[in-house]
Amino acid sequence: MEKIDKSRFAWVGADPEKRESMARPSITYWKDAMGRLMKNKVAVVCLMIIVVLILACALVPMFSPYTSREQHLSELNKGFFTVCNDGEHAGTMHVFGTDKLGRDLLTRAFEGGRVSLMIAFAAVSVNLIIGMIYGGISGYFGGMVDNIMMRIVEVVNGIPYLIVVVLLMMVLPKGIFTMVVAYATVGWTGMARLVRGQCLSLKNQEFVVAAEAMGAKASRIIARHLLPNTLSVIIINVTLAVPSAIFTEAFLSYIGMGVPVPQPSWGMLAQEGAGMFQLYPSQLWIPAIAISLTMLSFNLLGDGLRDAFDPRLRR
Amino acid sequence: MAKDTKKVVLDVNDLHVSFDTYAGEVKAVRGVTFTLHEGEVLAIVGESGCGKSVTAQTVMKLNPMPPARIPQGEVHLGEHDIVKASEKEMQTLRGKEVSMIFQDPMTCLNPTKPVGKQIVEAIRHHRKLSTAEAKAEAIKYLKMVNIPNAEERAKQYPHEFSGGMRQRAMIAMALSCNPKVLIADEPTTALDVTIQAQIMDLLAEIKEETDTAIILITHDLGVVAGMADRVAVMYAGKIVETGSVEDIFYRNAHPYTQALLKSLPSVDADKTERLVSIAGTPPDLLNPPHGCGFAARCKRCMKICQEEQPPEFTVGEGHVASCWLLHPDCPSPEERGEKDVD
Amino acid sequence: MQMLKYVLKRVGYSIVTLFVLVALTFFLQRMLPGDPFIGDKALPQATMDALNAKYGLDKSVGEQFLIYLGNCLHGDLGLSLQTNRPVATIIADSFVVSFDLGIRAIIFAFVLGVLLGTVAAIKRGKATDTICMFIALVGVSVPSFIVASILQYFLGLQLTQTLKGAGMGAMFAATGWDSWNSKILPVLALGFGSLAQISRLTRTSMLDVLGQDYIKTAKAKGLSQPAIIWKHALRNAITPVVTVLGPIAAAVLTGAFVVENIFSIPGLGRYFVQSIQTMDYTMISGTTIFYGAFLIAANLVVDLVYGVIDPRVKLEEG
Repeated sequence: MEKIDKSRFAWVGADPEKRESMARPSITYWKDAMGRLMKNKVAVVCLMIIVVLILACALVPMFSPYTSREQHLSELNKGFFTVCNDGEHAGTMHVFGTDKLGRDLLTRAFEGGRVSLMIAFAAVSVNLIIGMIYGGISGYFGGMVDNIMMRIVEVVNGIPYLIVVVLLMMVLPKGIFTMVVAYATVGWTGMARLVRGQCLSLKNQEFVVAAEAMGAKASRIIARHLLPNTLSVIIINVTLAVPSAIFTEAFLSYIGMGVPVPQPSWGMLAQEGAGMFQLYPSQLWIPAIAISLTMLSFNLLGDGLRDAFDPRLRR
Repeated sequence: MAKDTKKVVLDVNDLHVSFDTYAGEVKAVRGVTFTLHEGEVLAIVGESGCGKSVTAQTVMKLNPMPPARIPQGEVHLGEHDIVKASEKEMQTLRGKEVSMIFQDPMTCLNPTKPVGKQIVEAIRHHRKLSTAEAKAEAIKYLKMVNIPNAEERAKQYPHEFSGGMRQRAMIAMALSCNPKVLIADEPTTALDVTIQAQIMDLLAEIKEETDTAIILITHDLGVVAGMADRVAVMYAGKIVETGSVEDIFYRNAHPYTQALLKSLPSVDADKTERLVSIAGTPPDLLNPPHGCGFAARCKRCMKICQEEQPPEFTVGEGHVASCWLLHPDCPSPEERGEKDVD
Repeated sequence: MQMLKYVLKRVGYSIVTLFVLVALTFFLQRMLPGDPFIGDKALPQATMDALNAKYGLDKSVGEQFLIYLGNCLHGDLGLSLQTNRPVATIIADSFVVSFDLGIRAIIFAFVLGVLLGTVAAIKRGKATDTICMFIALVGVSVPSFIVASILQYFLGLQLTQTLKGAGMGAMFAATGWDSWNSKILPVLALGFGSLAQISRLTRTSMLDVLGQDYIKTAKAKGLSQPAIIWKHALRNAITPVVTVLGPIAAAVLTGAFVVENIFSIPGLGRYFVQSIQTMDYTMISGTTIFYGAFLIAANLVVDLVYGVIDPRVKLEEG
């Protein structure tokens, strides 16, 4: 055996620093999640598409030479990039062409996007608020309160929501507000269940017991301790609820229960475009692509968020 | 010794297993060597995460590849070369030549199939038997593992079985094709203490009655004492000490083995003697240390331990340990300047 | 005993839900603006009273509701304001077609969705997975009326014209519901979204199942991967998919509103949309109650089936 110098056998003993040290740096949950989201190229691209779409829907109608309702009866059903010859706008261009009443489709598409997105965001926000309050109360108090509240949810959930929406739309006047109300009447149950589930699982954890032992009030425990912990789950679900709201708006408008004419929305444009589809396919393509792209982006972003927040994926 | 004349059923030589994760290559097993003879019980002992389960699963190639990889080493099961074997070949070996029981019997049986059917499936896969014959065989094995009313029980679903019964059913399934090697991966960890004893008794019975060799993986040295012929102590992906049960319990040479034994409660121990835990955690195998894996936690750690991996030193017949303290040039504790501090 | 309790509980829920739906429909109908008998010219008071008595409008709201409830139970949903035919008859006639379309769409979506999801799960992280999941994502992101329009235009009209030019018969009919080739496109259009949803769910559930210990046990027995998937994983992976069949049925049913319209299929969905557009209130509320009852029943069946396929199902939790 090879001779080894005695000096190498000098005693050092255990190294308390090194033996406890974790080789991987610890990062906070949020930082970690955001970092992972930013690494997900698809999700980032979708986030950018969403931001650009929202900005465009806000700004384009403002700077467009046309309004969404003005008709140019001399130029009906024009194709892309048609130069306008009518009245005061002579010389400007209909970038997306015009519809059967000679209305500028670019302006209508983005103003329609405004309406559709507004309905979707408003509906989801209302759902979120109702769901958080309802689910938070139910999950926090538990027992009998929870039992009764969840039975109610179960019944509401059993009623097919599009049917209820159709019923409500029959009674209420057409418009953005009605659509939000109709969607929110039945849409909150999912969020409520989710929040309740999270609360139930969290409320027995030590930090809540500690807060309770120190005499914190129920409302305070819900707001300060329970909800922030359910935040990641809620963010994911809100992201995934937006496309479903957009779909509902489009669907209702398509079957004639949406916003009143001549108000544009993506669903209305799709409905109008479908009538002209065989002759002028682009009139359906524009809203179809807008709806699909938006839904796709939100769905992909939601998937990305889920992957980013799921701690099980952290190795 | 008698076992030298017995056939070698499993020969693992310098086995390395790595997992490619997104954080990098995790070297879970770093050069493991052991042999297993017919009818022998080898216990592999170590803390969780030391690579003992990975080693065992590699013998059956159960780790999905990728992410798992075998960058180096050989595994011979009888005349079969496991590392080179194709998936198809493995399918004829798994269950027939080598079978396995797992830690948690609650989750190891398919909840939507009657227990008997799951055993029949294994029998029919490897043995040319009719369904009726296979059923009879399954019931025979269920009886062998002491399941009462085996005929009735065979028709029941796993959730109708208690934890101990499920583990016995798992053992029946594992034995049903008369494998040469049975790997028991922490077979008692998830069970109640009284049930643990029953399962260990059953394994001891199997050892007596069949010539199936058993690899018993556990972190519980108490379990080992009763039935193992030989013990391999693993730490940070390496076997640090191998020997007979007596070698490991009474003539141990590696500081890790010693620390492990000190953390073991015993009935007859002096009341004043306190249990000693091993401070710290095993190293992260994403960046394994250059020297001895135990160096950072070892009270007797020397300079060389941090610099170079210790080779194997023969302590006695069939007793091998990897520690620089065993090097013939290693001076006395006084000369090294060793102090008894934590 | 436990099973019986579970069944009774589920049935109880369904009845309560149905009752709520009927009540909602009744009271919303009463909130409708305008009086049913005020037409172009005012009627004399005596006539009004007679009419009110005839239609039971002189009774209290509670009584009226009970009568309405009773009528619904008898299957009497009133007369359509547009055609004057009994709503129940219209539903009976047209729902056969809708049911045919819907069941085909669900079968198509389920079979192909499970297949796609399973393949994606097995090939996790590979190109096949990406392709399958991209198809699924398009499916959940493109509304059925757009899918229907596109299919009708390209496969129903353009392709047929091209084939005609080449002297061949039509491969797909663009409208109707009679010949076999008129049934393909509507089923594709209606089932695509559900297919996508099912395949996404199957993939997640399959990945979960493939990570379970009993799959490792099956592998340790020496079973090949196809055998493991077929004999052990598939059944367990499908169980959660079965639970969404209720919502899927609802999606297919509402999806049929537009798909039937686009392909001119004489189903209930088409009449429903027409009645919305013509403000045929009795038809709307009658159809709504029918749809509601159907879906509640479908959900009930799904719940009960779920109890049967999963022997572990914790009935007391249901």
